[in-house]
Amino acid sequence: MTMDATLSTHLQELRRGTVVVASLVALRTPGYGYSLLETLSTAGFEVEANTLYPLLRRLEAQGLLTSSWNTDEARPRKFYRTTEQGEEIAAALRDEWTRLTVAIADLTAPTTPSE
Amino acid sequence: MAATLLDRYVFTVLRRVPEAQRTDIDRELRASIADAVDARVDGGEPPDAALEATLLELGDPEHLADGYAGRRQYLIGPDLFPIWRAILKMLYTIVLPIVVVVAVAGKLLADPGIGPAIGVGIGTLLTVGVHLAFWTTAVFAIMERTGVGRAELSGGPWTPEKLPRYERQYHNLANLAGALIWPALMAAALVVQQFAITDEPVLDPDNWTFWWPYVLVLLALYGAYAVWTYRRPVWNHTVTAVYAGLSVLLWGPVVWLLADHRFYNPEFLSGLDWGAEDPQRWLTVSGILFALVSAVWGVVDVAIRAERSRRGSPAAIPTIV
Repeated sequence: MTMDATLSTHLQELRRGTVVVASLVALRTPGYGYSLLETLSTAGFEVEANTLYPLLRRLEAQGLLTSSWNTDEARPRKFYRTTEQGEEIAAALRDEWTRLTVAIADLTAPTTPSE
Repeated sequence: MAATLLDRYVFTVLRRVPEAQRTDIDRELRASIADAVDARVDGGEPPDAALEATLLELGDPEHLADGYAGRRQYLIGPDLFPIWRAILKMLYTIVLPIVVVVAVAGKLLADPGIGPAIGVGIGTLLTVGVHLAFWTTAVFAIMERTGVGRAELSGGPWTPEKLPRYERQYHNLANLAGALIWPALMAAALVVQQFAITDEPVLDPDNWTFWWPYVLVLLALYGAYAVWTYRRPVWNHTVTAVYAGLSVLLWGPVVWLLADHRFYNPEFLSGLDWGAEDPQRWLTVSGILFALVSAVWGVVDVAIRAERSRRGSPAAIPTIV
């Protein structure tokens, strides 16, 4: 495995969980698959369609999202929205995220020499 | 009608996800793809290229289907799993039946008698079945651990051209005629041999009390089956099951009569002089071989066609409402 491939594997693993948080936060405003993909990539989350679409259904099955078909326009689209339970989970995940950021910062900060 | 590239992609995904989710995923996936294609067309790409690029970006439909189905595939990782499954399927539907037929035939040659032959058949089925699964899995597990990727095995990364084509096989009148002619010929041969061809009837006349009329009824059912499949819009596993049932009902008694030496007319056999060879033994063995090969060949053929048709049939998969 080259250095690049190693890096990309680790990056992928690091980002995987962030997509869940980002989706739950973004879908407080209802959105459909492709629109969310756009929103996330504009916001700087690198997620692929083939990961995101199954993920949305999985989050729905877990009760974190609800969905409804919007058939008003020419193209029927499935709109997802974060549920109350989804909000709670997202909040908990964000707390964990903050904790991790602090922890990483502490770890990388120059340590005070201890005698 | 040829399926479009989009249909082929969506079908390939859908056939691998649980049936209850198909309608919903079908609609959602098509809408998402259409959105992505529109975005590309707005950006100035021609529609065909936009679709192809969108599908390429979505990637291998089997991976996408695994994502939807939430499958966990750990002994053989997700990269190799579809190939492992395809190979096992092929081994079990083609190689295993052939091995079993050969083993049963070999046993019958050595020792005519239906009981021991069935024993050998079941024994071979179990032993060979277990070995096929074990060694295939072992090889794949080793490949997985040593880092052989799917790309090497399937000839490069996935592209939309690799999607199955799903052309439906329509049955034409020639096929129907062919499927009607063979039971008709067999029935005619069964009746005619009683009065003509040789001095004595070839087949045991005692069986006219039950078995030969039974065979005639079964042959008539084969004819009915041919008409039924001709009129059916879609082939699926019901067809396979019906055909397999017919095969067992027809060939089972034939093999049993042969093994029990009640198939040929003893008068006819005694009239044969093959020198050192025992005509009864050779006719019995070749008759049983013929029956087994016909039965297995027929069922495998129908099963393959039904599976192909099922996968390719838009009617079997809910389409957008």
